[in-house]
Amino acid sequence: MAKKTNDISARPAGFTDTKRVKELVALMEANGLTEIELMEDKSRIVLRRGTSTAAPAAGHMVHAAPTAVHAASAAPAAPQAPAAQPAEGEKLLTIKSPMVGTYYAAPSPDAAPYVSIGSAVDDKSVVCIIEAMKVFNPIPAELSGTIAKVLVTNGQVVEYGQPLFLVKP
Amino acid sequence: MFQRILIANRGEIALRIIRACKELGVETVVVYSEADRNAAYLKLADQAICIGAGPAAESYLNIPRIISAAEVGDVQAIHPGYGFLAENAHFAEVCRDCKIEFIGPSPEAMKTLGSKLASKELAKKCHVPLTPGSAGAITTEEEAVEVARRIGFPVIIKASAGGGGRGMRVAHNEITLRSSIKAAQSEAEAAFKDGTIFIEKFHEEPRHVEVQLLGDKHGHVVHLWERDCTLQRRHQKLVEESPCPVIDQATREELCNSAVRLAKAAGYYSACTCEFIMDKERKFYFLEVNTRIQVEHPVTELVTGLDLIKWQLRIAAGEKLALQQKDIPQNGCAIECRINAEDPERNFAPQPGLLEEFIPPGGPNVRMETHVHQGYRVPPNYDSMIAKLLVHGATRDEAITTMRRALDEFRVGPIKTTIGLHRQIMANQQFRQAKVDTGWIERTYRPKG
Repeated sequence: MAKKTNDISARPAGFTDTKRVKELVALMEANGLTEIELMEDKSRIVLRRGTSTAAPAAGHMVHAAPTAVHAASAAPAAPQAPAAQPAEGEKLLTIKSPMVGTYYAAPSPDAAPYVSIGSAVDDKSVVCIIEAMKVFNPIPAELSGTIAKVLVTNGQVVEYGQPLFLVKP
Repeated sequence: MFQRILIANRGEIALRIIRACKELGVETVVVYSEADRNAAYLKLADQAICIGAGPAAESYLNIPRIISAAEVGDVQAIHPGYGFLAENAHFAEVCRDCKIEFIGPSPEAMKTLGSKLASKELAKKCHVPLTPGSAGAITTEEEAVEVARRIGFPVIIKASAGGGGRGMRVAHNEITLRSSIKAAQSEAEAAFKDGTIFIEKFHEEPRHVEVQLLGDKHGHVVHLWERDCTLQRRHQKLVEESPCPVIDQATREELCNSAVRLAKAAGYYSACTCEFIMDKERKFYFLEVNTRIQVEHPVTELVTGLDLIKWQLRIAAGEKLALQQKDIPQNGCAIECRINAEDPERNFAPQPGLLEEFIPPGGPNVRMETHVHQGYRVPPNYDSMIAKLLVHGATRDEAITTMRRALDEFRVGPIKTTIGLHRQIMANQQFRQAKVDTGWIERTYRPKG
């Protein structure tokens, strides 16, 4: 009997497998479910979706025997992780914009960027320029580490608090 | 008309402006602080830009960040709403320097009418009745006593740069007056960075009546009749209505026309409100001018059928005010109740927090102006007003009946609000007979607990 690779009942037991949980989440989203409860042997998981406090949970309780549950057939698109989501296992720090303006990676159009992936920065290292009201403001890192990711592109409009760089401490 | 404007404000007025812009085909860029990050109205704007942390000084009062947002948002004009930078002449000047239209008066008119002393001088020139008082600023106790002897006690000491009811002290006799002068000067210095004080006759049991004005950049000014805002607590308005229920038409016309004279003399354009105190004999005395659109502007919109925000936009864009005085009606009666997230039973303590339940009223003749909804979290950083409930009726009695019905439907919880207080006011005989004054709420309202 060929095992359907999408049949989550074929997965290892238990819900500590984050991959499995992600599949359940995708299943819920694909089918518009707000609540799902699965029990398997000694494991039980309840997932509730949505943040509205207005309507009580609609309670689409799905007590399905594992074989009846199929993950969405199309490869579920992982929800776009917000830019600041740390990579598995690592805690990255974020350099955020302290002002509203236009982000520039380099001191001038022909110059090299202030930083790139792998650049070491400390408190006072200038990481970029943000132009506001015709004034070019050098932005200090205000933390120490190595640039892990650049989240914005040259010439992009940034708002207060917008993440600019991820830094590995 | 502008292609795109920036709204430098938050909450219900930001939403109000977004709505007017949508109907005029103007794109909107709205700024927000981190405390307002999840506000639903942000999604109704074409663009929303975070300009800072919750505290107003870091966001809604931060001129460089607001101007930056205006530049990156590529707007032609900024609407400042009310409060925050709406009456900040420096901000209006910065806008002008940056070639961004400030949707409001010129900085010059704002400075003239925004100063209590300067506006009073102008009022005098225009034969607008003034409360007797010191001719200008008072610096010594002796000057104060001399004025008080001339005009008679009780007198009130006011800060020239004050507003919103702050920086005022009443003296019923010379002893109190003498001991209050220095204290009043220090308070004014601390609160408004300007220790200038002056003295006026104190009107007992006064009513607060104000006139809505609109002027264009071509010198045309009209009034949109008056509003009675007598019901206040600690000088914060709670209920407003139009028309004023206790004056005759002759007084009304005299009142409104005097306000028009003042605005014209100041070269004022855009919207403003001329405030008066009315005494027991229904004589009115000029108080001050608010050089901005006000919270209670929808009261006027309901009786005149005009959209004040749209007119502000048109005026700022240079259009002529196509309204003739004789064509501006005052139909029926409109009443507004300000719904604040405050607990009247605990001395009106502010009530930030989650609105688990928010079911606003509806139906005929009811107008709700609010940015909040069920699930909204009221932030602690700003003033406590969460909604304006307005009604319109053919008569004042009908309007009150509709307001009572609407307040009965209104469900907000678990945080406390002033809805219960408004229910009491609307049921009260003195209010229904319009036998109230500005101190009435504080004298009459007693928490039930």
